[in-house]
Amino acid sequence: MVHETIAATNAVVTLDVALPGIVWGWIITMNMWAKSIGTGIIFLGFFLLKKYPEQTGFIRFPIVAISIVFIHIFLFFTVIDLHQMFRFWHIFFYPHLTSAITIGAWMATGFVGLLFGMAYAIYMKKDEALYDKLLGWTVLLAVPVTLYTAGLMAQSTARELWQMPTESAQMILAALLAGTSAMILLGGNKFSDLIKRDLAIILGLSAAAAFILYMAELIFGSMKAEEVAAVLHYVKGGEYTVMFWIGQVMAFIVPMIFVCLSIKNQSYYLLKIAAVTALIGLWVTKHVWLVIPQLLPMS
Amino acid sequence: MQLGFLVDLRLCMGCKGCEIACKVENEVPLSTWRLRVKYVDVGTFPETKRTFTPLRCNHCANAPCERICPVSALHYLENGIVNIDKERCIGCAGCVMACPYGAIYIDPQTQTADKCTYCAHRVASAMMPSCVVACPVEANIFGDLDDPMSNISKYIQSHQGNVQVRKPEKGTFPHHYYVGGGNVTLNPLASFRGEGHNLFNKLTHLPIGGH
Repeated sequence: MVHETIAATNAVVTLDVALPGIVWGWIITMNMWAKSIGTGIIFLGFFLLKKYPEQTGFIRFPIVAISIVFIHIFLFFTVIDLHQMFRFWHIFFYPHLTSAITIGAWMATGFVGLLFGMAYAIYMKKDEALYDKLLGWTVLLAVPVTLYTAGLMAQSTARELWQMPTESAQMILAALLAGTSAMILLGGNKFSDLIKRDLAIILGLSAAAAFILYMAELIFGSMKAEEVAAVLHYVKGGEYTVMFWIGQVMAFIVPMIFVCLSIKNQSYYLLKIAAVTALIGLWVTKHVWLVIPQLLPMS
Repeated sequence: MQLGFLVDLRLCMGCKGCEIACKVENEVPLSTWRLRVKYVDVGTFPETKRTFTPLRCNHCANAPCERICPVSALHYLENGIVNIDKERCIGCAGCVMACPYGAIYIDPQTQTADKCTYCAHRVASAMMPSCVVACPVEANIFGDLDDPMSNISKYIQSHQGNVQVRKPEKGTFPHHYYVGGGNVTLNPLASFRGEGHNLFNKLTHLPIGGH
């Protein structure tokens, strides 16, 4: 990677250590992707249960079950990414509260506890009032659980590409995109046209907003810091260009188009296709954005 | 007390004695380095020269690695050294992501983060870091930055205008200074880094560290 070299110096690194390669790879991508679904479905469930309480009561148990499954996928990949995974408990016994990892671990623990409380309330006790009360607190905790990874990326001083508040906006949008997609696939044809339309609009808008943010970073990020410019070369003709655009098309562009078509044609089938491509594309998009800053030499 | 390092790049001749001394003193495993010397060739033949830049942990006053560590494995000592407790480290690699100087790596033997500690164990016994002792030209200067009479403070005073730190824009306030450095030696983006840039082998990416 070269960015500032000039003919006058013609500087060439002839001896240095080998580059460390990708330290946070696909396991962290899985972590972020699964977490987006796990918290996103809670956001969407809360929205639907508040707006359409009569028609959406049946989603109470499924959304908790999906969230529990995906939050545990997230936790599983978080733990196996640790090089000393059996020391995971250190986070709880030697917590360092300036670290986003610590805050995230504590918040996620509380979130999981509430999820199990909700599952108990609806499955064992059949108590919808208790469920709804717990849901409010769960939504509150879902916000920091969604955002802590953005905090972690912002604390990664070496990686200029990961900036606050852009990352936090991207994390929330990813949760909405993934949560809506999961809800669309979960609901089948049980939802009314009005609910389907709401889900389509949320999916389309979150895809559009996330796409705008990525494009803004792609075009203007280079103008702020040379490291960002150097990193973005990997998706501007570099080795991750194709993967980056596959992610963008699948996660954002296809869903936007299919959402418009589904609303116009009142086709739930198209909406389901949009949901599937959004979920696949989100993984690809997250992965590219995670990996490229790690390719830059630090020395 | 605030310990710090200064390297006079005009004196360094790239012998790598410091690298080896560090490896031996700290039992740094193969393929990893707490301290290494980067070579950058500058100019066009026949007007060429080779520059040497020893690179190690900068022991920042505002260390991103210390801030991001979830279990305080990376912590400050009273003398300003950013130390690491390998027994506490969980190997999350957050510090590897946070360090703008690429000074932290995952030790392939212990599977924990590791980095230069300014030989904290030697300093505690009133000894100099091993790299300082090994340097044949005294290019490494180590001492108390809070003491205006220390060698490092005097060196900084007498070379004002020619003292630099790496990546000051990061706001990390490194306690590691360079005299006689320049963009080519201190900025990783200012020199071409081709595949197989390593003189002695063609290993361009370490297979360790990630999954």
